[in-house]
Amino acid sequence: MVHRHPLLVALALAGVSATSPATAVTTLAAEVNGMVCAFCAQGIEKKLRALPATRDVYVNLPGRLVAVELVEGANLETGQLAAAVREAGYEVVSVRALDVPAASLRRKKR
Amino acid sequence: MKPWRSRVRRCAGALACAFACAQADAGPMGYQGSTMAMGDFGPDWSESWVNHALTTRDAFGVGATWMRSADGSAIRRLTEATYTRLVHRWNLPHAQANAWFVVGAGTMTGTGFGGTRFAWTPGAQFDYETTRVYLAASGRLYRAGGVRHDVAAVRAGFSFHEAEYDEVQPWFVVEARRMRGLSDGVEVTPMLRIIAARAFVEIGANLDGQARLNFMYIF
Repeated sequence: MVHRHPLLVALALAGVSATSPATAVTTLAAEVNGMVCAFCAQGIEKKLRALPATRDVYVNLPGRLVAVELVEGANLETGQLAAAVREAGYEVVSVRALDVPAASLRRKKR
Repeated sequence: MKPWRSRVRRCAGALACAFACAQADAGPMGYQGSTMAMGDFGPDWSESWVNHALTTRDAFGVGATWMRSADGSAIRRLTEATYTRLVHRWNLPHAQANAWFVVGAGTMTGTGFGGTRFAWTPGAQFDYETTRVYLAASGRLYRAGGVRHDVAAVRAGFSFHEAEYDEVQPWFVVEARRMRGLSDGVEVTPMLRIIAARAFVEIGANLDGQARLNFMYIF
């Protein structure tokens, strides 16, 4: 299930739109509580990069954003993403599917 | 001692006692699967330890501590195996708070008693952190037979600017620390903390001008 959240930071920073159900999902963007330090981000990134469906990961601390770009053709349920972040010790508020690569979120932030 | 230094020390001491705790670091363990190495070096207190996080909440490690009384008359050497537990984490929208428990068991040698004594070192830490602010209070009991060197500390700090997690971020941190049986006063140490990649380094000097160096690295 994909949750829509009005505060999703990814959209605010990148100005991108969520995918429609018919569009291939390339990136899952999660709004995460408690992720405030570099070492928090490193732990989440390591856990997410270990998933077979992950192509790239982008973490933005001030924006509370964790974005996972998926390998082409791979599938990652939002619940799986939320569980991985939860296992790393943090709380996922919402997850949204985007049709942009993680690198573009990274570039637009910088 | 200058009057303002005395006032600062008294206030810091009261704050430390209010929290009733000891040595304060950043979080005392890394993320699951990581190994964390830390060191804290000053003229009267030096310690280094390493632990490995088996889970998000549990880490096992080993450490060594050297402590000396302020007058130089007493020296203690502690080697121990440690267990660290993240008791609870509060994940807030723009902050994180943690309650930690740590316990060590090992041996202590030193002046004033012969041979080697069994030592145990239970402690706790509570910290609150945002991307710009850090507060921590901790306490640890160092017990070996009749030896009691309990340490309590509080820390407060702020970062100079917001940073991405892979950028260098400088912080200003002040620590007030009291070491029972080693020093009568409260040691107040302002420090500059630099966080970069998987490491941080803290450099400072206490109000008596004694240098302090801390580091942490996550493998």
